[in-house]
Amino acid sequence: MAVRKFFVYVLSALLVLAFTAGCSKKSDGDKGSTISAEASSTENAGFGVSSKKMTITLWDIATEDPTKSTQESAVERFMAAYPNVTVDNTHIQNDTYKQKLIISMSSGQCPDMYIHWGGGPMNEYIDSGFAVPITDLMNEHCDVPFLEAAIAQSSYKGDIYAVPFGGIGGSGVFYNKTIFSKLGIGVPQTIAELEAACETLKNAGYIPFSLANQNKWTGSMYFMYLATRFGGVDEFNAAVDGSGSFESPAFQYAGEKIQEWVRAGYFPDGVNSLNTDDGQDRQLIYTEEAAMMLHGSWQAGSMRNDNEEWYVNNMDYFRFPNLASSDKPQNIVVGTSIGNGFSFNIHDDQEKLDAAFILATQFYNDDTYNNEQLATGRIPSIVGMGDTIEDHCMQKIWADFSSASNVQLWYDQYLPPAVGETHKNTCQEIFGLTKTPAEANAELNKAMREN
Amino acid sequence: MKKNASLVQSRQRSVRIAATVFLAPVILIMAIFIIYPIVSTFSISLFDWNGISKNREFIGMENWKMLIHDKVFWFAFKNNLTLMVCSIGIQIPVAIALATFLDAAGRKVNLFKVAWFLPLLMSSVAIGFLFSYALATTGGIITTFSQALGGGKVDLLGRAPQALYAVISVVAWQYIPFYMVYFLAGYGNIDINIYEASIIDGATRGQYFFHIGLPLLSPMIKSACILSLIGSLKYFDLIYAMTGGGPGTATELMATYMYKLSFTHFKMGYGSTAAAGMFILVTGFALMMQTLLKGNGSSNNE
Repeated sequence: MAVRKFFVYVLSALLVLAFTAGCSKKSDGDKGSTISAEASSTENAGFGVSSKKMTITLWDIATEDPTKSTQESAVERFMAAYPNVTVDNTHIQNDTYKQKLIISMSSGQCPDMYIHWGGGPMNEYIDSGFAVPITDLMNEHCDVPFLEAAIAQSSYKGDIYAVPFGGIGGSGVFYNKTIFSKLGIGVPQTIAELEAACETLKNAGYIPFSLANQNKWTGSMYFMYLATRFGGVDEFNAAVDGSGSFESPAFQYAGEKIQEWVRAGYFPDGVNSLNTDDGQDRQLIYTEEAAMMLHGSWQAGSMRNDNEEWYVNNMDYFRFPNLASSDKPQNIVVGTSIGNGFSFNIHDDQEKLDAAFILATQFYNDDTYNNEQLATGRIPSIVGMGDTIEDHCMQKIWADFSSASNVQLWYDQYLPPAVGETHKNTCQEIFGLTKTPAEANAELNKAMREN
Repeated sequence: MKKNASLVQSRQRSVRIAATVFLAPVILIMAIFIIYPIVSTFSISLFDWNGISKNREFIGMENWKMLIHDKVFWFAFKNNLTLMVCSIGIQIPVAIALATFLDAAGRKVNLFKVAWFLPLLMSSVAIGFLFSYALATTGGIITTFSQALGGGKVDLLGRAPQALYAVISVVAWQYIPFYMVYFLAGYGNIDINIYEASIIDGATRGQYFFHIGLPLLSPMIKSACILSLIGSLKYFDLIYAMTGGGPGTATELMATYMYKLSFTHFKMGYGSTAAAGMFILVTGFALMMQTLLKGNGSSNNE
């Protein structure tokens, strides 16, 4: 009997453990500034939601607050304004979302509107007939002044296919300003200065860069920035369209530089086994073992949420430094200008498409929505939005983004999916020193040509 | 005579009808959920298809030609073979040892029975999370021990050769309890009289184990080997949760590769080819193992 009781206790303890482990992912920042942004929705004559009874199925990945409440409130406001329309909103966990969407599409159950990240996968959805062009709707019935880059990223072959709503995402270097000033390091302007800073940090016992590269896209940022600083976006675009190659000097330079830095000990031990989803890279920053972290802008919100006081006192941001020897524009940002977009799989029901479009542009992307976005550290892809943000890192990220001559979309979003995966694998092997840059780039180029 | 024949006939008929009625649901379910997917996997493997588009292009054996020359697939297969050899080589002997201990010690050690059984109750994903922390280079258990003893940080999951072995040992941790329970049940089936008779005849514990227990368990060991073989060749979840096949493709298995092809590369046609190839390989190996073991078994019995 005692044994059985013990068994029950152990089992329930285990259950609780497994459950909390599954739920322990922290939510992003919850408070911040309340800012009023310019009005974005006005009435259009003759355009609106018809009084027909309709159900719109909507899939997104807002499983956690604050995005969950922000997005659900947009849907609720819409349904309150138009009681004849029911929005059937399903939240799907991020990691499994793309697979579920593919299965739903192949089995003819594709939702009416769904979230995506633009780039290669969006093009696949469009080519397969699961997104309708909304160019006319956007031009005639949308008053939201979206950033041009955001519209460009929502377009494919001359038509617009998506309404942006997730906000911009840039990337750059977060650094511990306390450590920097203690060691007398200034903000590096060039890659040579960055390397000098790394050397100083290394000698003082710090890990220069915190990086969790099990996820692969994290290390990819180093590769993308180095290649972009060397060859601009042109060399990348040429490699993609076949007029150039991934074996060209920019990618060679990126691969070699990374391996040089790995050998010099600029990255943490076991870099390829650290996981950024578990915040293991931020952890090294918090314990002040590491001094810098090249990462996406969303990390500002996460760090503020984890420990606001420490973050404000210690962390700052600088853009990825210039490569002095390059004649290409040095102010290119690697990131995304739409974050997320909605595409519509509504083919023969104009009234329903109009309703869904109104939901996406006048309820998502309205003042209430945008203010909630800003309050949680996200900057909507709308002109002027970032000017009012209060977070000191986000201000700099926004300034970089606004003045960038171009935005290099994340390779793994831009490239066709199979090629994007190859890039992530070969890039991880570059960090692991298991492939030479030449081998890795040749493999990437082969994947691109075969696609 | 005539009457008898018709009686036999009618009985046969009624048996046939009853059999059909009772088997119909099973056959139907098998046809829908097992036979149809296998057939359709093979048929999709002949197409160039991204998995969602309405148009798929028939390309004959192109995918199969590509699979035969696909280095990643064969590398993944090699990883599967390593996993298989290690699984059979580690899990089954350890499980037999544990089961023997539990059987010999009896009720006194029920606590161990419970404790050793626990890993099997956890979901693979939870185990994956648990061990990626335990094996972490910074702050993991192994690293902490190594540093306490004056060594450096130990990177188990992030480097090419050791990542696979690290994952294999976690797989062993997860599945040893299963085989342990299996063998324990096997011991339970051995008549207590046989044990008592052998003890009366003066056999030691060791002699009993090697000359009586083990031979009587051998049919179960064989089926455990086959189970383990099939399981390791189609293994997926823990690897996916712990390393996602990385670093690079160091821990890629056929199943993780197939999954990535189908769902992240948008190559459903080629992914199905990999799945079908995997099906052929697994079936082939299982049949081979079965005939091999059967050959041994009959010679032992005679």
